[in-house]
Amino acid sequence: MNLGRGVSLVGGATTKFGVRAATWAEIAQEAGEALFRSMPTLTSADVDSLFVGAAEPERFAFQSHVAPFVAEQLGLAPRRVVQRTELACASGQSAIRSAYAAIASGLSDVAVAVGVEKMNIPSMAEANTSMACVMDRAWDGAHGATAPPFFAMVAQRHMLEYGTTEEAFAAVSEKNHTYANSNPNAQFAEKTFDRAKLGRLPVVAPPLRLGDCSSMTDGGAAVVLVAEELASKYTDRPVHVRGTGQYADFHNLANAGSLTDWVGLKHASREAFRSAGIGPSDLDFAEVHDCFTISEIVEYEAIGLCEPGEGGKFVLDGRSSIGGDVAVNTRGGLLGCGHPLGATGIAQAVEVFDQFAGRVPSARQVPSPEWALVHNLSGSANVHSVMIYQGAS
Amino acid sequence: MGAEIARERRRPPVSEPSPSPPEATPGEPPAKKAVAPPPFLLDFFPLEDAKQTRLSPFFDHLRAGRLTTTRCRRDGRMSWPPRVVCPDCHTSELDWVDLPAAGRIYAFSAVLMGAPLGMEADVPFVVGLVEMDGVPFRLFGRIVGTPWETCRIGMPVRPEPYDLGDGRVFYRFRTVT
Repeated sequence: MNLGRGVSLVGGATTKFGVRAATWAEIAQEAGEALFRSMPTLTSADVDSLFVGAAEPERFAFQSHVAPFVAEQLGLAPRRVVQRTELACASGQSAIRSAYAAIASGLSDVAVAVGVEKMNIPSMAEANTSMACVMDRAWDGAHGATAPPFFAMVAQRHMLEYGTTEEAFAAVSEKNHTYANSNPNAQFAEKTFDRAKLGRLPVVAPPLRLGDCSSMTDGGAAVVLVAEELASKYTDRPVHVRGTGQYADFHNLANAGSLTDWVGLKHASREAFRSAGIGPSDLDFAEVHDCFTISEIVEYEAIGLCEPGEGGKFVLDGRSSIGGDVAVNTRGGLLGCGHPLGATGIAQAVEVFDQFAGRVPSARQVPSPEWALVHNLSGSANVHSVMIYQGAS
Repeated sequence: MGAEIARERRRPPVSEPSPSPPEATPGEPPAKKAVAPPPFLLDFFPLEDAKQTRLSPFFDHLRAGRLTTTRCRRDGRMSWPPRVVCPDCHTSELDWVDLPAAGRIYAFSAVLMGAPLGMEADVPFVVGLVEMDGVPFRLFGRIVGTPWETCRIGMPVRPEPYDLGDGRVFYRFRTVT
């Protein structure tokens, strides 16, 4: 799959992530403020299209029709494409993929992809209800299925089938929290977690503890994608979209098949690698969807960074840290940054741009990167979305 | 599956034996405040009435102690959840078939925090995937009868109906010991 025109990522920014004293609309405005501040040559009039990644504004903010709503918050008047993308936890990447497709096809020249989510509301039971309706609400949600017990079952099976340990889970969390300490916009920028401390946190859904789970987070992020020939107006370090893949293979939990072999991610990442003309060993860094520690471990395996069953060893051996085979989640991951559903995929792309531009703090800078992969899963890992980017050499 | 529907109030619901609430003294408020039902769109459970769903036979069967699903008359495909159109041949010629009365835990966890609205009083509760012989999918559901600390993969379970307390029924699994 190679689309028409080349598409470049030319900049982006995020708001502060966390439990924010700010409404959904205010977070959208902050994303606009951060974007225009980080891109001095971008004007509102340049932007012909807007894609808004938002998972559940109807449930968390009682607001529908959010694409024009965000356009107004950002002071934009899109004249080619204006739309919302909803794909639960992957809503942000879905906005970027849609912007990519629109630009590649010639429908758009300059597109903004914005992600916004406001998840901390006065009733956390209602917020948890919103998370449960990501599942098949009537047949799975009604039993109390939310993300933690599902991913806990993945962890339980991985431990049974491969001997993966709770120490491996803690190693993922420790790594990502450590990187988040160099990201001031991360929800847990100020908090330090080592494996011993993580092992003392309360159990949420056995075997997963609090430190194995990403949080309910408020946050926004925005990026700009343009036709490759227009990139030089905005940056001298454009990042090019080289490949993408996506796969959905079930929805109701009954039809999940193996919990530890994520076939959908194998399909999506292979398609992305094929279209980019590279393989897993070419990657310099990756932003993968660590909604839970076990997710990152299974993702190493399905993307092909290591063999099936060896994901725990991969992180314990430091192979997913800077200086290892591939630096994974240098932004701090969903574990360290928090997981505002619609904003996460956009914030990962911001990290990709900033890494290639050499403008992240040295504590998390990957030396001279060329290739990066971004992955989001959504729901019960039943959809996988992957993009591959190449930096300017 | 037992022929009788377990008669339990929806709240405090299903899972482990909970102490019965103390008898209310006349003139004094009850010891535990009753939880109001959630607004319609925050109620998780399916609509069951034939005026609202073509799957109402599923719930009629459940009331009679049978856990059933649909199987395509043309290609034999058994689906979960039950359907009105076969996903393979896209026809609506489906029959109701009984699921086995026994299964085993394939994977499980428990909700110890972060329960959705209306389920807060159930915490901690066990959920899991149950495999059944001859069934091409694993049913997800609540598992009652054994606390999470002593549940094990492979433990035998049987499905049972339970009363939601508002005219509706739903299913869950009970460990067989």
